[in-house]
Amino acid sequence: MSERAKVKVRNLTKKFGDLLVLDDMSFDVEDGDLLCVVGPTGCGKTTFLNSLTKIYDITAGEILLNDEKVDPRKQNIAYIFQGDSTMPWLTVEENVRFGLDIKKVPEGKKKEQVEKYLEIVGLTKYRKYYPKQLSASMLQRVSIARAFATEPELLLMDEPYGQLDIELRFKLEDELVKLWKLTGTTVLFITHNIEEAVYLGNKIMILTNKPTTVKKTIINALPRPRDIAAPEFVELRNQVTELIKWW
Amino acid sequence: MKKGVLKYRTSDKTVNAVCACIAIGLFLILWYWGTAATKLGMMIPGPIEVLQAIGRGLFGKVGRHSIIAHVGYSMMRVMVGFAIGSLVGVALGLLMGWYGIAEAIFNPLFRIIRPIPPIAWIPISIIWFGLGEDAKIFLIFLAAFSNTTLNSMAGAKSVDPEVINAAKMLGASERQIFTTIVLPASVPSIFAGLQVAISSSWATVLAAEMVRSSEGLGWMIVAGMNNNDMIQILSGIVMIGIVGFILAIIMRKAEEVLCRWNKSGE
Repeated sequence: MSERAKVKVRNLTKKFGDLLVLDDMSFDVEDGDLLCVVGPTGCGKTTFLNSLTKIYDITAGEILLNDEKVDPRKQNIAYIFQGDSTMPWLTVEENVRFGLDIKKVPEGKKKEQVEKYLEIVGLTKYRKYYPKQLSASMLQRVSIARAFATEPELLLMDEPYGQLDIELRFKLEDELVKLWKLTGTTVLFITHNIEEAVYLGNKIMILTNKPTTVKKTIINALPRPRDIAAPEFVELRNQVTELIKWW
Repeated sequence: MKKGVLKYRTSDKTVNAVCACIAIGLFLILWYWGTAATKLGMMIPGPIEVLQAIGRGLFGKVGRHSIIAHVGYSMMRVMVGFAIGSLVGVALGLLMGWYGIAEAIFNPLFRIIRPIPPIAWIPISIIWFGLGEDAKIFLIFLAAFSNTTLNSMAGAKSVDPEVINAAKMLGASERQIFTTIVLPASVPSIFAGLQVAISSSWATVLAAEMVRSSEGLGWMIVAGMNNNDMIQILSGIVMIGIVGFILAIIMRKAEEVLCRWNKSGE
């Protein structure tokens, strides 16, 4: 456990009635990490993220961001969900602006951020479109731009590409790595896709089956851009797969 | 499968307008034939006589006022009652849909009041407000209130939780979530309620005018009945249809503008 960690999770426990889902989890996330969290299906990955962000009240334990109790209203956190979470009544541009409006960012800075992130995710041309006029990958790009535009201290992503086809997924994964490098944001990325975790993360945290605990955290030092066919990539993927096996 | 469904739908405005004209034309022909060639003609006048009477009465006199003035009186009553009823209904519906405590307090009362048809309140409204405008406006208020409350509540309840959570994660306060998420997300449901509310309000004003009034389309029909004037009765009925149709178009246009985001991409 590091004293200088960005996020400190201590004895995190979450129960739904008598069902113990998260069991006394403790771990750290270093500043600037892109930490991928993987685990068996149904192990409680989303519960884990929702507990981190106080969408669910935790049963016991403590979660600290920069040594303060995590609170999305006081700290700059963003969350990209599995499904579409764009506001359908706002245009692409207004969606990207939304978080900045909430945080009452000065108008000049707001404009600058919106332009910058629309450009990065390639949606400048579609700024006046409404979400119903966009494809699934464009919608996720809007969510990504909205999240990054607020320059969050911590970005949480819950299987954001789980419902996209493989080509779009690769494209958006590269986009995420580009944005992460550019901004240095600390990212916690939940996925059930081991290949995605090895491709993206500089660290991979493996969870056990329910009741969930942290099984192991692996440092992923593979060079970028990563080649999914490279022997060292395949080796790491196999190592993670072995660790996930709970049977 | 989807193509099969789309085959029966058209968004071409010209085609829709032509179809509407043909349907109305066929109805008028059938009406004309029915009154000219069958015994139906002994009971009701033909469309030409009714349309001629409407043409004469538009700016002429039916009773003490022109038909335009009668429409104006009815519309004024509808608009005041509808505006107050909708405002209260939308506010209460959103509150009940979003705040559990508001639902716990108001919903039982609302559930009791909602099934009571506005015309059942006529005797009470006369006792409370007399025979003047207030009683009519009160009845229209009730007609608009129920529908808008119900739909606004449904709209606020059905806001996508992921959108709410996304706003929460971006630091939105409870008040900001209500004003920037719940309110705009409920607009399509609110409009669905307003559409029904305007029709109910229009129906209720006629009932209210039939009880006691000296002007308005409801009065036109009752006065026609009292004088055994079938042409005046049918003129009133046709005018009700025309005004109702125009109101529905206005509401739909307003919805198109305010909910343009709710249309799927081309």
